[in-house]
Amino acid sequence: MRVKLLYHTDLDSVKRVYAKEGVPFDPEAVMDHVVYMFEIEDCSRVTTHQLVRHRAVSYDQESQRFSAATREGVITPPTIVSNENAYRAYDEALKAVYSSYEKMVAAGVPKEDARYILPSAIMTKLVMTLSARSLMHLVWQRTALQAQWEIRELAVTLHHLAQEATPELWTRIIER
Amino acid sequence: MRRCFSTKAIEDIETELEQKGPEYWKYLLSKALQDKSLDVLEHFSLTLLVEGATESEVGSLNRGFPYLRTSHLKGTDWLISMNARTLVELWRDPRGKEFAGHVVSELESRNVCPIFSELAFGGRVRAS
Repeated sequence: MRVKLLYHTDLDSVKRVYAKEGVPFDPEAVMDHVVYMFEIEDCSRVTTHQLVRHRAVSYDQESQRFSAATREGVITPPTIVSNENAYRAYDEALKAVYSSYEKMVAAGVPKEDARYILPSAIMTKLVMTLSARSLMHLVWQRTALQAQWEIRELAVTLHHLAQEATPELWTRIIER
Repeated sequence: MRRCFSTKAIEDIETELEQKGPEYWKYLLSKALQDKSLDVLEHFSLTLLVEGATESEVGSLNRGFPYLRTSHLKGTDWLISMNARTLVELWRDPRGKEFAGHVVSELESRNVCPIFSELAFGGRVRAS
């Protein structure tokens, strides 16, 4: 998985507004005004399905209507990688699925229809923009031990990138 | 621009946009505005100091446009944030047009995203 912070609100500019107004700067008060835009690449659609349950966020995700799918472009969970029998079953299923996908596309089925057979393990890319408050909620929920490993990894990365960009807003959040 | 239409890595998209220049930006933005694919504009965020707005004026905007984020600073001064989609929706709605006009004038005076201003708001905009 690759995550990049593409943009974030300039917190110093916001602080200058507070200073100009003579109002004490309160990080809590600007949580809805500070936004982050992230590019996320090579995570599974399993994870992005979980991600889009966070509603107050803008998403633009790579479309399977336009992009071709390949066997190489899938995420394999560590519990499967580390289990020889499970990995064999996983790999066989994927090979069968992609073979059928390619045959359908070759037979003239549009990619947007052939994709119905594709697995949730497929890698995807997306851009998402959200406020500090929404991100904090996401981090709080998705770093919990009960969260699945992939979205947990993503939430930890998002948290670290946001904290590095705007440390003053991230003094109180505690990963679970 | 719209991630769902490209399978390329973000660096390649950025390079492509840089190489193709302002005309390509115009093409992509025009397409988004004409097709009403305004969701791509949600990634462009604005935070503004708004002076001289009453609580009733700000409340009215908030009720009409739920994606506006407002914080009271003092007196009639407010911190207001929105994305470009909300700005376009304000501009296209009689209830938000006057406020949008002020915002667009400010963007123009600072030469912020002139291509976007020209395409979305018809170039020179006079705030009422």
